[in-house]
Amino acid sequence: MSALRWGRGAAELGRTLRCSGRPRPGTEEGTLGGLWGPRRSSSISLCEQDGQKDWGHAELLEVLEARVRQLQTESVVDTNTKRVQGAQPLQGHVCSHWEKKLEAERHGLQQRQEVLQGKRPVGLQSLTLRLEPRIWSKKLAGCLQHAKPEAPGNPSKEQLARALQAALQKLGTQEARQPVRPKAVETHILLLGQRLMHFLQCCLVTGHLPLAHHVLVTHHSKRDKQQLLTLDMYNTVMLGWARKGAFKELVYVFVMLKDSGLSPNLQSYAAALQCMGRGDQDVHIIQRCVKQMVREGFQLEQLFTDLALSEEERAVLLRALVKVEPAFSPPVQAPTPTNTSPLLREIYAKDIPVSYPKLHLPLETLQRLFQQQLQVELSTNVRVQSVEKAPQMTKEVTEARKILQSLRTQWEAELLRALQQTKATMASEAHDGLPTLYPFLCLLSEEELVSVLMQVLQALPPQGQPLLFLAHNLGLRVLNRHLVQQKQGGSYVQELSQHYSKYLQLLAANTQVSSSYLPRQYWEALGPPQAPQQQPWALAVVLQLGKELAELLVRAVQMPRSLAAPQGACRLIPVLYHVYSFRSVRQVGILKPHPAFTQLLEMAAEPTLTFETTEVPMLCPPLPWTSPHSGAYLLSSTKLMRAMEGTTQHQHLLEQCPPEQLHGALDALTQLGNCAWRVNVRVLDLVLEIFRAKGCVRLGVPPPRSEAPQPLQPRPPPDSSPVHKAELRKEMARCLKAAREMHSLRSEALYRLSLAQHLRHHVFWLPHNMDFRGRTYPCPPYFNHLGSDLARALLEFAEGRPLGPHGLDWLKIHLVNLTGLKKRESLHGRLAFADQVMEDILDSADHPMTGRKWWMEADEPWQTLACCMEVAQAVRAPDPAAYISHLPVHQDGSCNGLQHYAALGRDSIGAASVNLIPSDLPQDVYREVAAQVEESRRQDAEEGLRVAQVLEGFISRKVVKQTVMTVVYGVTRYGGRLQIEKRLRELSDFPQEYIWEASHYLVRQVFKSLQEMFSSTRAIQHWLTESANLISHAGWPVEWVTPLGIPIIQPYHREAKVQVKGGIQSLTFTSSVDTNQKPNTLKQKNGFPPNFIHSLDSSHMMLTALHCYRKGLTFVSVHDCFWTHAADIPVMNKVCREQFVRLHSQPILEELAEFLWVRFCSGASARSLKRSDLALIAKLQETLQSLPETGTFDLSQVMGSTYFFS
Amino acid sequence: MWGPALGLPPRLTLSVLGPGRCCILGSGASMRKDLRGRNRRGFSDFHPQPLSDLDCEESPSWVSKSRSEPTRHVTSKKLAKALVGTLLGHYRPSRQLLLECNPGPGILTEALLKAGAKVVALESGKTFIPHLESLRKILDGELQVVHCDFFKMDPRNQELIRPELSSHKLFQNLGVKAAAWSAGVPLKIFGILPSKYERKILWKIVYDLYSCASIYRYGRIELNLFIGDREFKKLTATPQRPDLYHVLSVLWQVACEIKILRMEHWSSFGLYTESGHLEKSKRRDPLHQMHQNLHLVRMTPRKTLFTENLNPINYDIFFHMVKHCFGKRNAPLLHHLRSLSTVDPGDILRQIRRNPGETVLRMYPQDFKRLFEAIEQSEETVFKWVYDESLDDIVI
Repeated sequence: MSALRWGRGAAELGRTLRCSGRPRPGTEEGTLGGLWGPRRSSSISLCEQDGQKDWGHAELLEVLEARVRQLQTESVVDTNTKRVQGAQPLQGHVCSHWEKKLEAERHGLQQRQEVLQGKRPVGLQSLTLRLEPRIWSKKLAGCLQHAKPEAPGNPSKEQLARALQAALQKLGTQEARQPVRPKAVETHILLLGQRLMHFLQCCLVTGHLPLAHHVLVTHHSKRDKQQLLTLDMYNTVMLGWARKGAFKELVYVFVMLKDSGLSPNLQSYAAALQCMGRGDQDVHIIQRCVKQMVREGFQLEQLFTDLALSEEERAVLLRALVKVEPAFSPPVQAPTPTNTSPLLREIYAKDIPVSYPKLHLPLETLQRLFQQQLQVELSTNVRVQSVEKAPQMTKEVTEARKILQSLRTQWEAELLRALQQTKATMASEAHDGLPTLYPFLCLLSEEELVSVLMQVLQALPPQGQPLLFLAHNLGLRVLNRHLVQQKQGGSYVQELSQHYSKYLQLLAANTQVSSSYLPRQYWEALGPPQAPQQQPWALAVVLQLGKELAELLVRAVQMPRSLAAPQGACRLIPVLYHVYSFRSVRQVGILKPHPAFTQLLEMAAEPTLTFETTEVPMLCPPLPWTSPHSGAYLLSSTKLMRAMEGTTQHQHLLEQCPPEQLHGALDALTQLGNCAWRVNVRVLDLVLEIFRAKGCVRLGVPPPRSEAPQPLQPRPPPDSSPVHKAELRKEMARCLKAAREMHSLRSEALYRLSLAQHLRHHVFWLPHNMDFRGRTYPCPPYFNHLGSDLARALLEFAEGRPLGPHGLDWLKIHLVNLTGLKKRESLHGRLAFADQVMEDILDSADHPMTGRKWWMEADEPWQTLACCMEVAQAVRAPDPAAYISHLPVHQDGSCNGLQHYAALGRDSIGAASVNLIPSDLPQDVYREVAAQVEESRRQDAEEGLRVAQVLEGFISRKVVKQTVMTVVYGVTRYGGRLQIEKRLRELSDFPQEYIWEASHYLVRQVFKSLQEMFSSTRAIQHWLTESANLISHAGWPVEWVTPLGIPIIQPYHREAKVQVKGGIQSLTFTSSVDTNQKPNTLKQKNGFPPNFIHSLDSSHMMLTALHCYRKGLTFVSVHDCFWTHAADIPVMNKVCREQFVRLHSQPILEELAEFLWVRFCSGASARSLKRSDLALIAKLQETLQSLPETGTFDLSQVMGSTYFFS
Repeated sequence: MWGPALGLPPRLTLSVLGPGRCCILGSGASMRKDLRGRNRRGFSDFHPQPLSDLDCEESPSWVSKSRSEPTRHVTSKKLAKALVGTLLGHYRPSRQLLLECNPGPGILTEALLKAGAKVVALESGKTFIPHLESLRKILDGELQVVHCDFFKMDPRNQELIRPELSSHKLFQNLGVKAAAWSAGVPLKIFGILPSKYERKILWKIVYDLYSCASIYRYGRIELNLFIGDREFKKLTATPQRPDLYHVLSVLWQVACEIKILRMEHWSSFGLYTESGHLEKSKRRDPLHQMHQNLHLVRMTPRKTLFTENLNPINYDIFFHMVKHCFGKRNAPLLHHLRSLSTVDPGDILRQIRRNPGETVLRMYPQDFKRLFEAIEQSEETVFKWVYDESLDDIVI
């Protein structure tokens, strides 16, 4: 009776089974529960009950079932399959030991088979790789096995085709039952998945495809590990086989994919079709595949539009498709539509002929420069002569260099040996199915890895470096080198050279190209070469690889205990020590070099510095930016938007947005990068003179180490008291600290000056990218125009322009601006002042070091000096108007943040105080705030407030300036108080005991008076803050789009700890990057107003840049400070004002509100939200509707304001 | 020099490093959050936050936070009387100066004065000051009242605190002269550690002690402190209590003779709020740690603490060594020494007669000192320690 019922239940179950999916990672069902799909019909539960009664029966069945499975994989037809299937639900809990045993047996058999077939990969002789998966779904397993009755393990074509067909077939019933991907997956699962994915990808890249397949199969064959597998992983391996045209392996993966309950996506089909195209498969199979694909809702055209394919892959794919549909042709790539932003209409208008400026260099020179830069990038790093004074070549120095040399040879050999050992271990682990780092270590040649390690060892600072940093650095270096090497392979470099040389036709001075193309447009029109698809790694993987390499260093690098003794005579000691450092409650692992090693390095004083190629300016114009990840350096990858390592969400946004939307930003960045620079040689020589002597703190030239303070008495007398020793220690610590600070400043200056010296006779380019708010930065870190006064003074435009009628005046005004002496004077006043001090100017230019040294007293001494020299040459020229000037002249926005706020709010009072309204003299908002604060202080003092009385005579522009400036960018009262406290401490005659109270009082007053002066600013800030607050509380990061179309997302999330375990130390880092993570509400809220304003000022800058370019100007910027040639200042000023008016004539806040509404409010009802979330959304809607009111300021007045930017 | 990219840290802030050197008493972000939460709960009714405060919130440090913590004081006369006996001991009362930290309502102060002691009341709560001043007038005893917070005095990171008063200035005002280390105890201090910051304060004091800074510039000052159960047990733990034995146990026991004077249940003390009101423990759900006993401990710095090989010049290396050893407490000493010192660890362990396989749990506090001195004495190399001042965040 029970047997009968059981039989019926089994039949029903069989049906359910066929259509039930398998749960994906993270669903609630556990491993075993998941075996049978998430849904159980009532009939099954009935049969389950029965099964429990007949336990003995079930056990027998279990054995039978397992045996059947074994036989299946051994390719033997078993007619009992169907009957036994029914027993499956009964033995889910008890079958494991049986399974294990049989699994082992089967594995052995398979190995034997593989040995017989001679399929073992080269280089891994002793180990075999699995090819055939264990298929869990009975039906699929059946098909696969039907397919090969006669030759086990070597199925014929049709049989494979049948298996594939079966796999395809099942889709129809499964379609609707796709398990929903769970939102939050546990971090460690995520990490494991990441690691596996990268492993597979890396295997593909390094040609270890069989290994990737093996690991995939191993994972697929174990239930608990199978959970990690995602569609992307199957697709990756499938794509690998497809590229090789290996149909059998591809079918295996496809069947596995189906078996795991996933449904193939476009990529899966593309891989399958590609493989068929290569293998010249039967039309029917292709037809079948295409049909199923279409049924799944994918169009054939999508294969060519949605996927990133190489030319060759497209051809193969097309070959397959044409077989089925001879009439099919891939869709012609539609030309990217032009940008439609009203702000950029003029730029992209086709009807107005324009001639964009050309570079001043002829084509031949530029081509030569390109070859130079290409050579540099191919050689991965640049060796630069240090500008440090060379040591005297004493016997010690030569000896030290000799020892170092011989040690390095030893270490290289030792590292190579250790690396090979590690690789061998990892390879064997990979064959056990673990996704180890083996393929990653194969990315670069062993010698190259060793050289990376040696470089890192060399650069380790004497005080050591956290293992985390070191690992990160090592991992990134390997990644970057690999990426460059990947581009080197194939024909990419050659194609690039050809295209670049065509592209230069547009830029070169001596060519005739219709130049109404922007550089990017021209580059795109040329049909640029396709760079290989490159995926950066997850941070955890980078760190893991880096840590492995760092451990290699610690293990392998050793030196004799005493360097003086003949080598080999004494014991070896490690060079690197893994120490823990204790910082507050944290414990940080540090790798520290042995002091003797540091001393040896210092003694040897080797004269070369090594830079990565991306740290050095480019020798030819950078590649134009054409997409979020292509542009700037020729081979090294650079991102359009810089961000914290591992952040991906803004990348997704950038990739999702239509390409034409980014054109404004791409073109602006390209143009900023196309400005040619040269070194101001005269200034450099003077700086070097001081640098090699004793330095000069006041002029920003850091003194050498020898100038560091020395403790008076290095060793205490033996009988001194503890208190005395404590004093001594304090002094020593002070000296040490000063020396450390000096050292780091000195090294920074050393890098900068060495690079300047290196580029002394070159023209060079600074490629630019932007941060997440659209603010632009030059990519090379050490030597660029963004740095200190000294750094800026070292650079000038490579291209000169005659001064023209007003150029000299602008030079003089610029000079006075740099001195900071006449801030409140009108332009005429400044000009008059320049003429008045002309003698000092000439003296400074002629005898900078020996004369009256007028320039040294300036706010920006080095730039002043450079300007003095330029003025001197110009006035002495026979015709100053014809004098060719290379000096960049600056125009600075006066409190630019407040300018944007005032314009947004049409706030007349605010606008007047930040020079949006024409006036005879420049307005100074800092002074005004100071005056207002002083006024209320006076009142308070009269009322007898003690602190107000104490402050009498101490309130100055200087005290409040920093706070006023930063309030716009969201400084809090706390931060503001610290700033003011610092200023007050600098005042020597201020009674120090009142500092706390006084700073507290002052910051309150500053905030109060700002609120009064910029009432609309506060209202807008408040509105922005409130919106961000509601959005982030509802669980989203704040997003918006700048007026220029750049999508922006605030990357502040609640941090999650991620741990990379194993080895000498676990590395823990906090990652705030995952999009699934909840936003950090405080940061989202506080960050929104300043970030929004920054996105506006960057838009203004980019607009000015683009329009200046149209007018043929050279233009660069340091955020709100715009640079051009002296002759072009009037044009730039006009453009700058026009664009400001244009920008703010847009309904910026309205558009923002609308965007936020669409993004966060609409569709909120459709999402199933909690009631509290709905309330938040309602409140957000309310906030977004009530925009802050605006004032009556007439924006067009900006056009007439002289001091808006000055 | 190669690859300068390594010389300067890359442009990323993996938060493991944190904001550089923080002080021992640094405040964490979490505290900040807590405080705001509390403020909202506590004051929102009658202190509506002005609009402008939305984006410029006061970020309180540890200092301002503690103000809203209730403070514990001696309130029972019986206890006060008992304490007078313990504190003054057999000395003739008038001969020695006694600093009482945060006397609050002044019950103990009164008792001490009555016994004829010379007392300086260091009170941090402004509200108690008038009362203490009046006490002086009434009793006409030798009492001085100073408004300062002893436990936050001489912050090691020079942060601004209120009321601002350094020990140097305080002792100068009191006319205390610095005594040599080898001399006797120049003065005694009595106090109850604020329950929430016990550990931090113990750390700060032990740093002061080894570096001869703050109050210890004036000699071997004796502390009489009420310490909560947990910290007390840790402080006095030896390898016999491996679960409690920790860095602080070693450092304190090496530095001081620790004598347990008495134990008192927490309920014998009164809880006061900032405004100076006695809190009913019933009303406010007492914090967990308040349910403990408090132990009165006398900590007298050892005359023999400083030697040729351990002194205020190199104490930080000693600290680092102990911290390192307890960092992975199950790892053999040998492993730790390999990371800590370039001197052959085998030789050193042989010198102090230790097995290479032994862990910290076999090392008594004085053994650490011996180990340290053995390494300091070794003549083997010029460089004895891998340690570097930049490794730890001791702020000078």
